[in-house]
Amino acid sequence: MDQEQALRWIAEVFEQEPGRLSSSTPRSEVATWDSLGVLTLMAALHEHFGIVMTTDQLTGMKTVGDILEVLQSNGKLA
Amino acid sequence: MSDAPFIDFEARWVVVPGASSGLGRAIALELGRCGARVILVGRNQEKLEETQALLPVGRARVVVQDLSSVGVIGSRMREVSREVGRLYGLCYCAGVVETRPLASFEAARFARMIDVNVTAGLEMARAVSRQDVIEPAGGALLFVTSIYAWVGMPGQLAYSATKGAMIAAARVLAVELARRRIRVNTLSPGLVHTPLSDGALRLLSDEQVKELEAAYPLGVGAPEDVARCAVFLLAPQNRWMTGADLVVDGGYMAR
Repeated sequence: MDQEQALRWIAEVFEQEPGRLSSSTPRSEVATWDSLGVLTLMAALHEHFGIVMTTDQLTGMKTVGDILEVLQSNGKLA
Repeated sequence: MSDAPFIDFEARWVVVPGASSGLGRAIALELGRCGARVILVGRNQEKLEETQALLPVGRARVVVQDLSSVGVIGSRMREVSREVGRLYGLCYCAGVVETRPLASFEAARFARMIDVNVTAGLEMARAVSRQDVIEPAGGALLFVTSIYAWVGMPGQLAYSATKGAMIAAARVLAVELARRRIRVNTLSPGLVHTPLSDGALRLLSDEQVKELEAAYPLGVGAPEDVARCAVFLLAPQNRWMTGADLVVDGGYMAR
């Protein structure tokens, strides 16, 4: 998966229009990335990529780029 | 106090699965009378088009969709939203009923009933309430359930279980979606003459039917009686009601 595909996937997880997110988009600009959004992201990472993360790890994320880093460090992002 | 009418959907779109007949059709028509535009969802194109023909021209769209195919509901609703614009609400009226006592309970039949009565409703809720689908100001979801979620009716084991599940699920949704100004309620009708209920009544003797009807102090209901309550719960002006179940049963449960 390349970065563009990853951004589309993240947009889908947070129910955003495709193309609205970039790696620098802060969490505060994604309305659905709230406490329930963290749980949604946790389930999506596990379901789609087998990546298991704790809520503490996920809560510490500040930007969309942080999610991309997780995908990259788990070998899911080219 | 505003001089505006209490209920006016102001051309907002409401999705009505199960709109081909019975309660779903009556609710779609009442929504239309109250200014909503309606997306009529169901399996039978001909019957959906009959409903559409009863609504003002341009106020209804037909979407043919088998609700037991739960995996495609989300993408189908996204397509619809791309065509018509943002959606305001959902009134989930689709459902199947089968009269079977415990002794003839079958897991596979129960699973199929759960697919249509519960899972498809939740998939619809997920599809309509998406941030990029629902109106930015929020919306309303309504699930038509049954008084048999509240009272035990012999032979309605599976049906009652699915309706009770939907009421419990709706409470969770009400809390989850409140932050996005999406209200979620359920409506529990008693006996109303519809093709669905009449099919179930045909399994009873005349005497049993009379006994059942006599249990309704105000008599058996008409689809329009339920439709008016549904529209009340969905109305944009009804801003503070969520997580509630409204029983409309002609006094059946008051006895």
